Amino acid sequence: MRTRTSILLSLGLGLLILLALPWLLSMGLLNAAIQMLIAALFASAYNVVCGQAGMLSFGHAAYFGVGAFATVHAMNALGGAGIVPTPLLPLAGALGGLLVGAIAGWFSTQRTGTYFAMITLAIAELLHAIAPHLKSVFGGEAGVSSMRMPSMGLTFGSTTEVYFLTLAWVLVSLLLLFLYTRTPLGRLALGLRENRHRLAFLGYDTHKLGVLVFSVSAMFSGIAGGLQVINNEAANYVLFESGLSAAAVLNTYIGGVGIFLGPALGAALMTFFGYAVSDLTQSWLLYQGLLFVLVMMFMPQGIAGLIGTTAALWRRCGLWRLLPVMVSFGGAAFLLANGTAFTVETLRVLFSRDYRALLSTDPAVAWPPVTLYGVDWAPGALLTWVTPLLLLVVGGVLVKIARRQLQTLNDQPAKDTP
Amino acid sequence: MSETILSLRGLKKSFGPTEIIRGVDLELRADERHALIGPNGAGKSTLFHLISGNLKPTAGEIVFQGQRIDGLSPQAINRQGLARSFQITNIFPKLCVFENLRLAVMRSHGLQYNFWRFIDSNRRLLEQTERLLEQVRLQGKARQLAAELAYSEQRSLEIAMTLACDPQVILLDEPMAGMSNEETAYTAELIGEVTRGRALFIVEHDMQVVFSISDRISVLVYGQVIATGTPAEIRENAAVKEAYLGEEVAA
Amino acid sequence: MDTLIVSLLNGTIYGLLLFMVSAGLTLIFGMMGVLNFAHASFYMLGAYFAYSLGDVLGFWLALVAATVLVGFVGVVVERFFLRRVHHHGHAHELLLTFGLSFIIAELIKLFFGNYPVNYRVPASLDFSAFTIGVANYPVYRVFMGAVAVAMFVVIYLLLTRTRVGIVVRSAIYRPHMAEALGHNVPLVFMSVFGVGAALAGLAGAVAGAFYTTNPNMALELGVMVFVVVVVGGLGSLEGAMLASLLIGVITSLAVSIDASLADLMAVFGARELAQSIGGLLTLKLSSLAATLPFALMLLVLLVRPSGLMGEKA
Repeated sequence: MRTRTSILLSLGLGLLILLALPWLLSMGLLNAAIQMLIAALFASAYNVVCGQAGMLSFGHAAYFGVGAFATVHAMNALGGAGIVPTPLLPLAGALGGLLVGAIAGWFSTQRTGTYFAMITLAIAELLHAIAPHLKSVFGGEAGVSSMRMPSMGLTFGSTTEVYFLTLAWVLVSLLLLFLYTRTPLGRLALGLRENRHRLAFLGYDTHKLGVLVFSVSAMFSGIAGGLQVINNEAANYVLFESGLSAAAVLNTYIGGVGIFLGPALGAALMTFFGYAVSDLTQSWLLYQGLLFVLVMMFMPQGIAGLIGTTAALWRRCGLWRLLPVMVSFGGAAFLLANGTAFTVETLRVLFSRDYRALLSTDPAVAWPPVTLYGVDWAPGALLTWVTPLLLLVVGGVLVKIARRQLQTLNDQPAKDTP
Repeated sequence: MSETILSLRGLKKSFGPTEIIRGVDLELRADERHALIGPNGAGKSTLFHLISGNLKPTAGEIVFQGQRIDGLSPQAINRQGLARSFQITNIFPKLCVFENLRLAVMRSHGLQYNFWRFIDSNRRLLEQTERLLEQVRLQGKARQLAAELAYSEQRSLEIAMTLACDPQVILLDEPMAGMSNEETAYTAELIGEVTRGRALFIVEHDMQVVFSISDRISVLVYGQVIATGTPAEIRENAAVKEAYLGEEVAA
Repeated sequence: MDTLIVSLLNGTIYGLLLFMVSAGLTLIFGMMGVLNFAHASFYMLGAYFAYSLGDVLGFWLALVAATVLVGFVGVVVERFFLRRVHHHGHAHELLLTFGLSFIIAELIKLFFGNYPVNYRVPASLDFSAFTIGVANYPVYRVFMGAVAVAMFVVIYLLLTRTRVGIVVRSAIYRPHMAEALGHNVPLVFMSVFGVGAALAGLAGAVAGAFYTTNPNMALELGVMVFVVVVVGGLGSLEGAMLASLLIGVITSLAVSIDASLADLMAVFGARELAQSIGGLLTLKLSSLAATLPFALMLLVLLVRPSGLMGEKA
């Protein structure tokens, strides 16, 4: 099967690149790579309940956080030697995530759909509210810190060593998660999503199934939390904040819930962009939110799904016929993204405290210019507002053209038919 | 005369002030095919919901193999050996046909909490699923998404899923709805085949099917059974004729 | 004793505020089956709109304008966002409203900054209504309570006594039938959503002046509102009122109690034991006040999963 070989080849290539990264990237970027791996694992664990079992959890940061704290305490208590050497420490995270996940799952899966979502949110907020008060467990405002101890001949002092540890754990976890989808429980989880009601009439205890699936997801979330702690050598109760749960949701759907590696892809991309543009803009979260809403409205299969559809079209129609469509969509995306960024950044500067401090009280004096793309734009000038508008309008028109092209392409017969 | 496997005694169900089932007494024998007919709104689906655990009776008893099952959860009732199909097709839409059936078959293999074995390596599961697929003539569509099947094919899938757990009592709620004559004839034959040695309780509007496959027929009108008997007896019954069959009795 | 009365009053008023926001949410859910994650964002928008318009229009007009503006935003959200994904199912709609709530919060941070703004009680309402013991009870709190009660009465009467109410309720239970009878069901949906949003906006405009107005308002209140609807039963207006009051009063009373479980165990002579165990046992109830609603929610889930006044699931 050509599809399968091409998938295996891409995976193999990806693996080779991942293994070679420490020699290809700077230390800063390698750190970002570690963050990307952890986010990818967290999103994949989240997808177990969300995309596969159809249970929308809005409080998954709880299990990540519990895993983190379990690991940091294990680090302090066991010192990295003996029964649990440093490389095996994420197991503590797995255990913590599993235990808390089972309890939380028992409560949450009593209800379905919207109720379930609200309960998961409330449980996470409960942990977030109570954590600062339990200083012995969660370390109060400062959190709990620890140090990576040498073990098995390695010092774990360098980023490279931490990177390989993280990579090993993430790869093994992803493999286990994939194999899980090939087990009876993994298939039943899909049944939970598709028709929970019917499962009951087929004799299944849907509550127990829900608890099991939830626990699996929480366990791997705990591993991700543990990896985070090994990297940062500290855990703090802000890990329970809703921002982390929100990130899991956004990353997973942007990546695409239908394909196994979709959430991992989404998480890696979003984490990378967050890291890369954090110097350029403070509005990164806004862009991420906009992208999420756009995906939910126009591209529910996510980026991974988009790649899959493109590959299918390529096979069906050949590269030459596909290329114009791709160019149109790509161009439209570029124009719309820039138009949006222009508008948002201009507004951000104009409404910021620093800018308002610069304004003089004399209404006759013009407002200071805003610097974007290396050019100064005067707020009063028409060009400053026409440019983004033009970008957005042309981008919108291009989208329409691209859609029509796609429609024609879909209507045409496949290239192999006479 | 075989023994009774399922009996309804004085069964009542009200929704608020509205009484839908007003006292139903009915006995289902262990290997008979028993049809339930009646005008629309008589409460036939409600009766099925009560028996299968989807609804709790307001009064009365449901006894299955000597044990009371009224008020039990649907999964408990199913585990005891009673399976039902649904009038509105109740399948797993975005899974393929094969997966739909496999999920139904899995439980009787005791695999529901298993996360340490690969499902594809289980031969018996595979064979049983494929056998069921062939029985309902869906083996050609095994890899198609269930939501993309034709309506009558979905009904066949629905029946297959009901049979998957090898139940002693099968409740079929309008299984032939939307099928052509040929499909109806095939499905009627299929139902006859797979229900041999089991009890079948079927709601159907197609009178030809009802009169040809049933051993006994009960007539439900306004939440009460007004007659129970063999097809011949029902055809002659004056009350039934008046209430339901009217002038359009096909011989 | 005085502190007890003050706590009770504060708790009741906070509960009424919770009700103002959860009323709209419960109505929208009952009607469309979708939980509007962005509902608390409407609350936040109301506060910010009222703040921005306050200098231009004065406090009272700004309240009205903010309410109408948020209602308009609600209509836009329903018409251009929710309606588009309606066919994908409830989960999809929930996610979309989640994304929208995220965007609204970020937009507020964009325009107003990531810190609280100075939205204050107007001078005309900044005096004390009465005194309880030595404490002066501010009139504004009474005002907030009055608005909430008025809202409850108006919604209740509208839904049960007017023709519009009957149409809305029929659209909730049988949208296709209502449409077949000639009622413009999409318009009804849009209007109810807009009204629900406007109510949340009014709550924000009123409460934002008293409590702090900051970009995290939506999240802080949003979680409480979710607890209210789980405890009260989704779809039940009376349940929302009951649950809101319960949570408001419990939280308020707890904040004033400085005792802990260790103190309780002291009655049985086990104080040393409790203190040596530490942890949760020595935590003062006042610190735990914020977590009590969640504990209540979990308790309700155990004992009565459909909520205090919800229909049996």
